[in-house]
Amino acid sequence: MRLRFQLNGEPVEAEVPGDALLLDLVRGRGLTGTKEGCGVGVCGACTLLLDDRPVSSCILPAGCVQGREVWTVEGVARRHPEIVDAFLRHEGLQCGACTPGQVVMAAALKLRGGEPDEAAVREHLAGNLCRCTGYRAIVESVRAALGS
Amino acid sequence: MARIDALAKLTGRAVYAADVDLPGLCHAAVARSPFPHARVVAVDPGPAREVPGVIGVFTAADLSPGRYGRRVRDIPLLAGPEARFAGERVVAVVAESRIVAERAAARVRIEYEELPAALGAEEALAPTAPAVHEAAWSYPGAVVTPDDPPNLQSRVLHGSPEDAERALAGSAHVVDRTYRLAAGHQGYLEPQACAARVDPDGRVHVWMANKSPYRLRHQLAECLELDPELIEIHPVTIGGDFGGKGSPMDAPLCVELARRTGRPVMLVERYHEDLTSANPRHSGRVRVRVGCDGEGRLTGFHVDALFDGGAYAGFKPLPTVTLHGLEEVGSSYRVPAAAVEVRICYTHTVPRGHMRSPGAPEAVFAFESALDELAHEAGLDPVEIRRRNLLADGEPNPWGTTWVEARGRATLEAALDAYRPLAVPPGWRHGRGIAVYDRPTRPGRASLRLVPDGDRLIVETGLPEQGGGAHTVLRQGLARALGMEPDRIEVRQVSTAGLPPDDGVGGSRVTATLSVAVARAAEALRAEGGPVTVTLDPATVPPVTSYCVQVAQVAVDPGSGQVRVLELLTAVDVAEVVNRDAHRLQIEGGAVMGYGLACLEDLLLEDGRVWAANLGEFRIPSPVDVPGLRTVLVPGGRGIGVLGVKAVGELANVPTAAAIANAVADAVGVRVRDLPITAERVHRGLAGGEGEVGEEEAQGGER
Ligand code: FES
Ligand code: FES
Repeated sequence: MRLRFQLNGEPVEAEVPGDALLLDLVRGRGLTGTKEGCGVGVCGACTLLLDDRPVSSCILPAGCVQGREVWTVEGVARRHPEIVDAFLRHEGLQCGACTPGQVVMAAALKLRGGEPDEAAVREHLAGNLCRCTGYRAIVESVRAALGS
Repeated sequence: MARIDALAKLTGRAVYAADVDLPGLCHAAVARSPFPHARVVAVDPGPAREVPGVIGVFTAADLSPGRYGRRVRDIPLLAGPEARFAGERVVAVVAESRIVAERAAARVRIEYEELPAALGAEEALAPTAPAVHEAAWSYPGAVVTPDDPPNLQSRVLHGSPEDAERALAGSAHVVDRTYRLAAGHQGYLEPQACAARVDPDGRVHVWMANKSPYRLRHQLAECLELDPELIEIHPVTIGGDFGGKGSPMDAPLCVELARRTGRPVMLVERYHEDLTSANPRHSGRVRVRVGCDGEGRLTGFHVDALFDGGAYAGFKPLPTVTLHGLEEVGSSYRVPAAAVEVRICYTHTVPRGHMRSPGAPEAVFAFESALDELAHEAGLDPVEIRRRNLLADGEPNPWGTTWVEARGRATLEAALDAYRPLAVPPGWRHGRGIAVYDRPTRPGRASLRLVPDGDRLIVETGLPEQGGGAHTVLRQGLARALGMEPDRIEVRQVSTAGLPPDDGVGGSRVTATLSVAVARAAEALRAEGGPVTVTLDPATVPPVTSYCVQVAQVAVDPGSGQVRVLELLTAVDVAEVVNRDAHRLQIEGGAVMGYGLACLEDLLLEDGRVWAANLGEFRIPSPVDVPGLRTVLVPGGRGIGVLGVKAVGELANVPTAAAIANAVADAVGVRVRDLPITAERVHRGLAGGEGEVGEEEAQGGER
């Protein structure tokens, strides 16, 4: 299957088997920031942006990117240095396995707009598991990134 | 102060084992036994070999017969002729891609003859139980003998059972209770992963999510009969460990596959494989008999712990092949007569390994629950019974150790001072529970190489970064010891070829180890100037202990039995804190993990199989599950080394389950003795039913 889409702001083409997953498509292009955790759509480690909405790339077929726009953590970090900065300042990470997903979720929230409070940020991150931090620092990082 | 590793992790650049790219890399997948116990009668690799892209299909007979283990070497690379648990590797397929390898593995035809299985620890120790291993005592590292029951992995006994019996017989109040813990999983988000390459000259290279590279090198050398000097373990970032990333796991298989195919081979487990077949937490039961006199002073206890070790003992690293937290039960208190027996046995279930402070959450859940039950029996307040029995400075603990200081009382009072009751929803009942834990800080072996470079300093370490912040602490520690700005110090993790052995991460030893090592390194640098290498011998450092007191507040719905943990207040006895942010995260992350153990996590091991086989079924706490977290540091303790530190990595996850169970009992009078504490279990207690809750509470009602 031949795919044409925007990846981190650049037009790209890719040839993938019909049953390839979106996760494998981006990782196969060397963008290994997107992680495979649970593989079944519940942990959020594989989150990326598809037309500015967060999706679990481990359960989506690669074909769904046709003609659309994909941002992975690598691109999100470039596009939103303020998010990276907020996580640095608020120490919103430890092992880093969940971190790309958290960064992408922060960007998704930012793109959605509005002024979410603490509970709304938590709710937004409900599908992004972290085994290390206990979440407080992640929630603070995301709120700081939004300037809230 | 930002973490050294943070930027790479936040921008997706950090390289984890599954991200390693090697020229010609191919991928392995395995076919696993569906039966708890079976004989592999025949393997037909034909259909797998036909799949385009397959490079090779391998059975046990094709590979090295060596076995591996962290201590007991009883784990084969592939099972055969006997498969000892549902999920054991039987056939390995190497292919050009992971998907192809997996598809081909699914097409291998394996004929099994199902055999009777020993499931459950009690059952496995019965004389008629099927033996999991013919001669478990014969494995290198085994601590059992031919005279032991065939399914015993280890037995340890401390203290004097006779003295304990005598003390209990003479006590004014005694409780005798049994507590049970389900099997759990470390729940790191990065599944087990490794890659291996074998050079034409025989040199072996490994990239693996493993926290003790030097030990891995040794374990691989032993298993595959190789010269350790020929093995090089390369540094990669580790995506969470919590005790589960300290074994060779799939590395010996990967090395063998790389050797046989002449290609670099990577094996990354799918998460369901990790849940069902890696090295999850032991399940088991702890019987506690503990007594006190008329004034609530503890007179003695006898603890009998029996745990299910699964099909292999090789994931336990201690020479005693036990879970040391269980051996140290009751350590925070003054108790004249104590005895503990810990038995771990083989069963035909997934082999069990270490999880964050192995044995301690189990021991503390049982002992601290029993203490509340004893207080209830004696008509005492749970706080009061602890006040009367916590060790004072200079007093030995039940196992004969007298620490530099005993700050349990101070930590308890600090927790109580900070405590503020929270409101509960209308109709719900409020409960408060307390639990205490203390854990020694013991440094490990470590090597550092310091290379001055103009006004900068390069530090080489063999210590991996598994999330705890080791490299950041190292930089800050050296900066302090040398009076340098941290940003002029660059930390580099080098492969095992670069430095003398290091114990790696584990046992909460990193910060303490570095605290001593940086002082030595700084001294050597001042004396010698040029590049220096120092190796720390841990035996020379007197150990200290640190206390952790947790107060849980719960709201319980007396109708449904639903429990909401409103807050976990964690008071920690500290000395100096090197990196406040990292320190706080270790405590908060620990408390949330303790909450998971208490209320959520259960691998649902039944009929010898793990039923909670994905992260949707095996639930770890999510951002919306977690209780409010408050941390109180109790400064002023005496720590280790120039930095004066106490361990923190394996503290806050330990007392949580007991604190929550005690809070539930306080709220509605239901004593849950089985983890996890589910609404169903509480409801059963409220309804006066039978089951996991105790007989006393079967009548329900408040106390
Ligand atoms: S890996 Fe995709 S949601 Fe967990
Ligand atoms: S930082 Fe390790 S899982 Fe979140």
